[in-house]
Amino acid sequence: MANLDEQATQNLFDKNLITENQYQEIKAYRSLGIFSLNAELKLFLYFSALLFTSGIGILIYDNIDSFGHIVLLSVLLILIGGCFYYCFKNSKGFQKTETVFESPFLEYIVLIANILTCIFIGYLQFQYEAFGTHYGLATLIPTIVSFSCAYYFDNKSVLTIAVTGLAAYIGLSVTPQDIFNSSNDFYDNQTLTYSAIALGVLLIVWTIYSSRINLKTHFTLVYLTFALHLISVATISNLFTDDLMWLLFTVVLGISSFYFYKVSHEQKAISLYIFMIVYAYIGFNLFLFRILDFIRPDDIWILLILLLPIYFIVSIVMFIKLIKKFNKEIA
Amino acid sequence: MIQDKNLLDNLVLTEEADLLLDAGFINKEQRAIIRKELPSFKIQRNILVRLAFFLLGAFLYLSICGVITLIGISGENTFFKICCYLFAGVGVLGAEYLISQKYYRHGLDDAFILGILLNIGCGIVFTTDAYDIMLIPAVTVAIVSFLTYYRYLHLLSMLVFCMACAAVLFFGMIELQYGEQVLPFVTMLVAAGFYFFTKKRISSLTKKYFYNGLLLANSFCLIVFYLSCNYLVVRELSIELLGYEMRDKEIPLWYFFYFMTFTVPVFYLYQALKTKDRIMLWISFLAIAFSIYTVRVYHSVLPIEVALTLGGLVLFAIAWFSIQKLKNKETGLTFKPDRINNSNAFLNAETLIVASSFGLKPEVKTDSPMEFGGGGFSGGGSEGSF
Repeated sequence: MANLDEQATQNLFDKNLITENQYQEIKAYRSLGIFSLNAELKLFLYFSALLFTSGIGILIYDNIDSFGHIVLLSVLLILIGGCFYYCFKNSKGFQKTETVFESPFLEYIVLIANILTCIFIGYLQFQYEAFGTHYGLATLIPTIVSFSCAYYFDNKSVLTIAVTGLAAYIGLSVTPQDIFNSSNDFYDNQTLTYSAIALGVLLIVWTIYSSRINLKTHFTLVYLTFALHLISVATISNLFTDDLMWLLFTVVLGISSFYFYKVSHEQKAISLYIFMIVYAYIGFNLFLFRILDFIRPDDIWILLILLLPIYFIVSIVMFIKLIKKFNKEIA
Repeated sequence: MIQDKNLLDNLVLTEEADLLLDAGFINKEQRAIIRKELPSFKIQRNILVRLAFFLLGAFLYLSICGVITLIGISGENTFFKICCYLFAGVGVLGAEYLISQKYYRHGLDDAFILGILLNIGCGIVFTTDAYDIMLIPAVTVAIVSFLTYYRYLHLLSMLVFCMACAAVLFFGMIELQYGEQVLPFVTMLVAAGFYFFTKKRISSLTKKYFYNGLLLANSFCLIVFYLSCNYLVVRELSIELLGYEMRDKEIPLWYFFYFMTFTVPVFYLYQALKTKDRIMLWISFLAIAFSIYTVRVYHSVLPIEVALTLGGLVLFAIAWFSIQKLKNKETGLTFKPDRINNSNAFLNAETLIVASSFGLKPEVKTDSPMEFGGGGFSGGGSEGSF
């Protein structure tokens, strides 16, 4: 393998596509024989954080009546205190821009501290009803804690927890495995749809405001990803409704697609662009289907099947053009 | 092989240029010049884009098959006998056309080539009425997938080929007398044999565009070797194939399989670090995880929550000590990020996993205030939207 790579570099050099200097530099670097375990070990830290907090979570959930509550709470509190002590000691304090920490552990300790805090608050609420029957409050407080942690320690993983918490506060489940299945009943519950769209818009507005005041602009992509999926899934599931509301939702989907078309170019984010196109395409097809369903052209179904390949070929050509345009514009 | 060899050579060079750009050895303008100088295929490098085109290609394929069915449906029985082969023919035509238009690793070509394999496989199953003896379909698919790999240099075909070969071995051994009893040992031998065969081919390789296919086969052998001597796999297959009744009986040679279940992953790990083989390293990680799972299935030593907590602590300790040890090394094995080959793609999935396992959920319906922990680690998947 190494030989083949070196051969490729050699070839580039032979064709005069890289300079002599660069060639020597690359050769010298390759001869160091570096085999970096950076990503692997970080992933280990990450999984250890997940395993540990899951274990603690189940431990507490299963033993909620058997252990002494005070003992449990104090152990948790000590753990959380220890984690946060480490975090504050090793962080550089709040910064408005992207922060790189020297210690590779900090990111994961923050994550552990945050999840443990959520468990702690949940436990308080469950056992002592600390927030009374205001269940919303029991969701909102972890959310606020997570947001503060995410911004203070510059941690994207914690930020996603915070956003899911915010969504949970208004009654939505936006974890990746839930957003696409039926746990959010957009179809039967129109209020939920409006909340989803409102939350999406709120997230977008926040990204615009953040970029104005230059606050953690690298979080924008996380917010926009949530907003895109929220708005699109909510509107698409409402394209089947019987009353004329579906026309409104088509318009909403159209507007959001246009917005994300613009913003994915600004962000140079191909993931946003692709999902925007896919959602818009699904929406467009459903729109066509509803129109056909409305006209009910009973006799031409066969013709439609014959036309289908051509329709897909046209779509493919359009897709290729769109992707090419995008790649050209962000290059 | 009908792929243009010049373009394949160019592809190798442009990919090298991409790597060098990421590593910061060359600049963007230089890469642009290289791409311009060396014309290449129509390629989609982004996995999401490729997936989208794969889906569109599959829709197109299906719609063409739909048209054919519409026309042929009057033929009734004869049509249903040959429809799979007709569809495979559509796949061949589509693939040939796309390749001639210089589409490669684009998603569209994947859809058509995989369509060929799927239809041939189904067609053979229907024609031979072989619902219980899968040997003939497996052999056919193996042959066809090798042909598509070689003709189109299509990597996914190689994967299908490897799986089909494993299936051939499996079903072939079952047909033999006493085949089931020696199945693990034969599989181990064959996997080891092919491993060294592909390894030798790789080391004597001069054309880099064959590298990926061979590497895939090579890694596949490693996985098959581990699985064929894993205690869980052997035991469950023995129950399935030999009809062993074992409430608390052990399979014959159980100590051997237990021994292998633990030594093989450790050996992989050692070998991977020694030879600086990243893929083997990842296989060894997965194998170790599966070995731990194997033990937990049969001996629940610790309750799950304690196991998770302790596992987390142990893993953290391992990572901590390794990092402390490797932190200041500049060459060889190190913690410093490699400029050229990095596996940062895995790190990008982190946020997604957190969101799926620890995302807060609304708690209107349940009594418990929140659903914490217990995160299903299977979440995340390959959506990769971050």
